[in-house]
Amino acid sequence: MKLWLGRAVVLVVALLAWEAVARNLDPILYVGPSRLPAALGRVMSVRDLPPLGSHLWLTLGEVVAAFLLAVASGLWVGFVLGLQKTLGRIYEPLLAVLYAVPSVIWYPSLMLFFGLGPASKIAFGFLLGFLPVTLSVLAGIRQVPESLITVAVSMGAGPGAVFRKVMLPAMAGTLAGGLRTGLALSVVGVLVGEVLGARAGLGYVLTYAYGLLMTAEYAALVVIVAVAVLTVDALGALVEARVRRWAD
Amino acid sequence: MGRLAVLRWQVLSVAVAFLAWEAAVRVGLLDPLFVPAPSMVLRALPSLAAEALPRLLDTFGKTALGYAIAAAVGVPAGLLLGSRRLLHDVAMPYVVALYGVPKILILPWIALVFGIGLSTAVLSAAVFAVFPIVVLVAAGARDVDPTLVTVAVSMGATRGQIGRKVLLPAVLPSVLTGLRIAMVFAILGVLLAEMLAGHRGMGYLMQRQAMAFKAPELFASTAIVSALSVSVVLFLEHLNRRLGQWR
Repeated sequence: MKLWLGRAVVLVVALLAWEAVARNLDPILYVGPSRLPAALGRVMSVRDLPPLGSHLWLTLGEVVAAFLLAVASGLWVGFVLGLQKTLGRIYEPLLAVLYAVPSVIWYPSLMLFFGLGPASKIAFGFLLGFLPVTLSVLAGIRQVPESLITVAVSMGAGPGAVFRKVMLPAMAGTLAGGLRTGLALSVVGVLVGEVLGARAGLGYVLTYAYGLLMTAEYAALVVIVAVAVLTVDALGALVEARVRRWAD
Repeated sequence: MGRLAVLRWQVLSVAVAFLAWEAAVRVGLLDPLFVPAPSMVLRALPSLAAEALPRLLDTFGKTALGYAIAAAVGVPAGLLLGSRRLLHDVAMPYVVALYGVPKILILPWIALVFGIGLSTAVLSAAVFAVFPIVVLVAAGARDVDPTLVTVAVSMGATRGQIGRKVLLPAVLPSVLTGLRIAMVFAILGVLLAEMLAGHRGMGYLMQRQAMAFKAPELFASTAIVSALSVSVVLFLEHLNRRLGQWR
């Protein structure tokens, strides 16, 4: 209880400080929190922009498509490399090297290939989400105790039963963590793509408002998108905690 | 399978992949306007080198600056957050939340305030890199076994000795891990800033090459930047291991 009070105080102080600083500076560059609600209302009713709802749905659709692709191929590649140990030893290091490459360098090539439409955003979101999903499957499979599998097989369990009763519980927590990271990165990928060059979507609206120096509207949009992203991640954390409890 | 055999298969697979790519372009499965063959990319390299070199210096110089800022802010902040229980419990949710917010959202604002020059890219690198450092260092500092400190105190160690001989070796691994991970984030921050609002650097160049449909040059730039950042990260990893041995 005291903890929540402390956190609330930090938040209020931060907002007040932000407001106090913004008041004394250029109002075009610095937008205090008190101006956000009105700006939010204006964002909803700007005539030059198509309704925010349709952009929101587009971005959401891109994220879902990117994430589903990342999960499908990440699970597939992860299980192939994890179950075929030889393949895993050869190709896992090659995949891990990609972690040392700043992902955004792929985006210009994707933009060139897929154009400015949703396809390049989906491709980039997929690319970012794919790696953590794959690597979490590989890490998860390593956590399955070999002896348990041997015991289960010797007691006559088929491959399906071994997978469901032995492997899945042992790797579920790691896998859930990887899926959550993958989702967060798919969201980032789509947003980066939309900000760097798009004709629709939340990132486009954001850069549009910013390009017209509608900074209050831009700030309001940043807050909305940030809250949405954090909400999605919090839901992911909830699911992850559930899965971990089930697996234990 | 021995390490050498693994390496042989890795080299072979990469070679086969490149050959298949080359063949796919030659027989017309891939349009070279969008996906140039590796041979075309290689041919583009020499002419690109002259243009790329100053830009690479520019990009990686900005990365170094932003990275240094992130380390100078992030390590002390992480140590502070990790060692003060109350502070950790109150402030950490906000740090984690800020870590989770896509930085690309505020990048246009940074560019608006700081212009399209050096400081936007440096600041972007610092913003991207500081959070992994803070979170990892705080976690490491929190996990220092308190009995180590108690034992050292009971044996008459001074504060300075405890810091140098007990705490430093205990938190060093997480500091180094944080610093290693942050490097990729710093490079990413600079490239992204250059793509969004730059007039120099590799990110700007790549974005322009994409807009101008210069696919071979774009692929060559991509190859150069990724090779460089992989070597920087591998170098840091090597450094890590050396320091680990010292410990």
